[in-house]
Parts: sequence; C-alpha cells; structure tokens
Amino acid sequence: MALLEIRGLVKRFLGVTAVDAVDLTVERGELVSLIGPNGSGKTTLFNCVTGYLASDAGHVAFDGRTVTRAAPHRVARLGISRTFQQVSVFGRLTALENLLVFLQQHQEEDFFARLVRTRRVRRLEADAIARARTLLDLVGLGARADAPAGSLSYGQRKLLAFAAALMPDPELLLLDEPAAAVNPTMINQMKDHILGLHRQGKTVLLVEHNMDVVMDVSQRIVVLDHGQKIAEGTPDAIRRDPRVIEAYFGR
Amino acid sequence: MAPGQQRYVVHVLIFTALFAALALSYDLVVGHVGSLSLAHPAFFGVGAYTAAILSTRAAWPFAADLAAAVVAAGLVAALAGVPLFRLVEHAFAVGTLGFALVAWIVATNWVEVTRGPLCITGIPKPVVGVPGGPALAIATLPAYYWLALAALGVVLVLYRLLTTFRLGRAFHAVRDNEVLAASAGIDPLRYRMLAFTIGGALAGGIGALYVHYLSVMCPEEMTVALTVNLLVIVFLGGVGTMRGVLVGAVLFTALPEVLRLAPTWRLVIYGALLLVIVVRSPEGLEGLVRRRASAR
Repeated sequence: MALLEIRGLVKRFLGVTAVDAVDLTVERGELVSLIGPNGSGKTTLFNCVTGYLASDAGHVAFDGRTVTRAAPHRVARLGISRTFQQVSVFGRLTALENLLVFLQQHQEEDFFARLVRTRRVRRLEADAIARARTLLDLVGLGARADAPAGSLSYGQRKLLAFAAALMPDPELLLLDEPAAAVNPTMINQMKDHILGLHRQGKTVLLVEHNMDVVMDVSQRIVVLDHGQKIAEGTPDAIRRDPRVIEAYFGR
Repeated sequence: MAPGQQRYVVHVLIFTALFAALALSYDLVVGHVGSLSLAHPAFFGVGAYTAAILSTRAAWPFAADLAAAVVAAGLVAALAGVPLFRLVEHAFAVGTLGFALVAWIVATNWVEVTRGPLCITGIPKPVVGVPGGPALAIATLPAYYWLALAALGVVLVLYRLLTTFRLGRAFHAVRDNEVLAASAGIDPLRYRMLAFTIGGALAGGIGALYVHYLSVMCPEEMTVALTVNLLVIVFLGGVGTMRGVLVGAVLFTALPEVLRLAPTWRLVIYGALLLVIVVRSPEGLEGLVRRRASAR
C-alpha cells in the first residue's frame, strides 16, 4: 500500500481549476519531486493534502486513512510534516522553542498534565530538548539555540523551519521549495539534508524549482502544468519528455 | 499618617491588587494568544453580578458565590467565544466590543435581576473559612487587603503556569503564526478558546471580590471605560509579560493617587502616554527595559 495516495484531486478557485483531477501516489521510503511552471498547482496540491484548503473533489489517503477533509493540525498529528514556501517560524520564540513546539503536540495534549507539569511531561520535555539540540546541530544552528527565531537570517530561518518539520520524526515530509532564494552553499546543504532523510528511509515529496536539486535527488518526478499531471517518470525520462519541454519553454 | 490617610493608602493598594489581577487575566488573551478582545468587562460584570445577586438575594456564603462567579463568567466566555472566534483580527475586536456593549445594556435594562441603574446594594463583607472550622470575617480594610493580595497571588501563579512551558509555548505559537502552529499539530481555535475562557473565568472571580469590597454593583462598572483602563495597563507595562503588566497596574492605579492628579487630567495624561508608548516602544515599558538590558 502506498504511503500517500491521491486520487482525482480537484481544487477550483472562482472558476479557475488550480488542481485538475490529479492522481499521485508516493510509496513508503520514496523521494518524489513535484515540478511544473509557476501557477501549475503544486503548492495548491500541498495545501489540499495538508488540510489548509478543502478540495472540491477527489480522495487523499495517508497510510490507508482518509485525510481528505481533515483539519491541518489533525493531518500533522497523523505524521505528515510540511514546510512552507514563505519561510515561516515563530518569530518571538527562540530557535530551540520553535523545534519544541513541533514535537509536543504529538506527545501529549493533556491540559492539566501540562499545567501541573507531571513527572511524565517533564521527562518528555527533557527528551524533546535533547532531540531539538541534536537537530539544531544538524542544520548548523546549535550556537543560536536561544536566539529569537525572528532575529535569524533568512537562510537560517529556512534551516530552522526544515529542522522543525523533522522534529516529530514524520512518516512523510512535504517540502515546499526548500532551495528557493538561498545561496549556493546552502542549496548544497539542503540537498545533502534531503538525501540524508532519504537514506534514513523517510518518505519525501518535494516541490522545487531548482532543477539541479530535483534531478540530483529525486527517484521519480511528477510534472504538473495548468493543474494537470502531464508527465511522470525518472529524472532521465522527464528531462527528455517533449511535453515537459513544451510546458517549460513553450513550443 | 493620619488614620484617614492610612485608610486611603490601603484602599489604593486593594484597588491596585485587584486591577493587577484583572489586567493579568486580560493579558492571557491579548498578550499570549494575540487576540485583541474588548469583551473583558462583560466577564468581569457577569462574575460581579453573579456574586452580588447570590450573596444578597440567596444569601450564599462568600466561597460559594465566588466559585459561582468564576464558573458563570467562564461559561459565558466559552459560549461567547464560539461565534466570536469565527471572526479574525479587526472583526474579532469589533465583535468582542459589541458583546461587551450588549452585556452592559443587559445589565442596565434587565431591572428585575440587576436592579439596573439602581444598583445592587448591601453586598455583605466576605467571610472566609472552612466548613465547620473557624470563620474569619473580612470586615476591615487591612483584612481585605490581604484577601486581594491572595487573589493576586493565585492569578500570578496561574498566569505563570499557563504562559510558560508547553502550554505557554502552544499559546505563543498560535499568537506568532497561526498557520504554522497548525502544521505543528496545534489546534489554534482550541488554544484561543482556552485562553479566552480562563481569562474570562478569572475576570469573573475578580469581579466578585470587587463587589464584595465595594458592597455595591452598578452597570457602570462594566462599561467600555474598563476596557480602556485594561488596555492602558497592559500596553503601558508590556503586553504578554508578567512584570510589565504588574508595573502597568501599579502605574495606572497607585501612582496617580500618590501624585494627586486631578481625574480630568489623568485621562489626558494616560492617553498621551499611551500614544508615546505605542509609537516609541510597542512592547511597553517592559520592552524598553529589555532593550536597555540587551544593549548593555
């Protein structure tokens, strides 16, 4: 059974069909990229899968469970993490706290246990802090753990958001343009991080415009144009596909 | 100090403690989940009227009417929150303002229950104690001062527990970025409702203490003027910070008494001060202090 299964997904905005009957499956452990020209519906598809937009038709299943009209926080708790194209962090929380937020809701949400800080919650918190520090070190932000996230540079915030998405150890990771608007060194870092996740057996669905990154990391590529899936295949096949060339460069 | 002057000082201290507690309960909503509610006087009023009515007409003991005030105000906040939180940002602020106005109008016109502009009078002084044990009447000013201080202490502890550690982090995540908070598995509405309900319940409890102190409850106690006072306290001191709100409450209630400012000038000065603070230091005095500290 595929980890993520999207069947006939449709999303319309005021008569414009942003996602037009798209089928997409991602197998467990796979690294799949979703590409397409601007406005081809990639981010809209992400938003439909993660509950931020209500789809007009179609079906989305994660690990065999229907998530078609689940709220974003429910989708997240099932084990789907996502990053946003517009870099977003909790500006007034520290870098460390930013990561802690992303794990705690997966562990417990008992109001009174939190209020009185039961021994169990305090132990979970200590473990979460240890995990957060490891992840901050991984993305090179170990020294900025106590800095407010709002004070970090754009690239650092991007890395922080990435680390935060990893915090709950998600089954599926949806990355929306992780290599956009960052310098070449960081693009390579991101590429390494993504490949690292893949080696660990994580399932990744990537939206990215940087073709070098896409071609280097993906096992399989799905191409959207005007909301429709126009091609699907290995990086080599996609590179030579005339429909893809046409969509990107015109006839 | 002459006895009259002494009494006056204690009176100001009681007001300061009650206002500080009320401002902290307000800051749970405004400062920590970032929802600009203007409905707080309604919850204060619900608690105040609940205690006033139960202690006069039904002769409930103090502890019982205080508990009822907390529950009633929390319940009203929870019920009001359901439709109000369908609104966002400015619409939410305007919606809560409308709710506060409606609550005030109901208090003024529902004469059979609230006696309207005639006010509920003769609210007894509180008697605290355990059932069967010794009872202590809070009849003197100093005794009331200790009661107000204890109430402030309870609110401070709750405020601290709610705004730090995992609960505080979830509140702050919702405040800083609602969309991102949802992707972290936080239900923004749930946490907004939680802060709104607890803030409302605490305001109700303080309303009960307030009317037991004054022994009278009138609709004017829950007008928009109270919202303005709370906004000044919270934004002057430092929204979302315990120390800031406490400093704001002291500056707002105690200082003008000490400086003997004429009431007319007081509001002018606060208005001007608020403008200066919002322009120069949106995080209030607390923000100024912190910037000084980090610049050093």
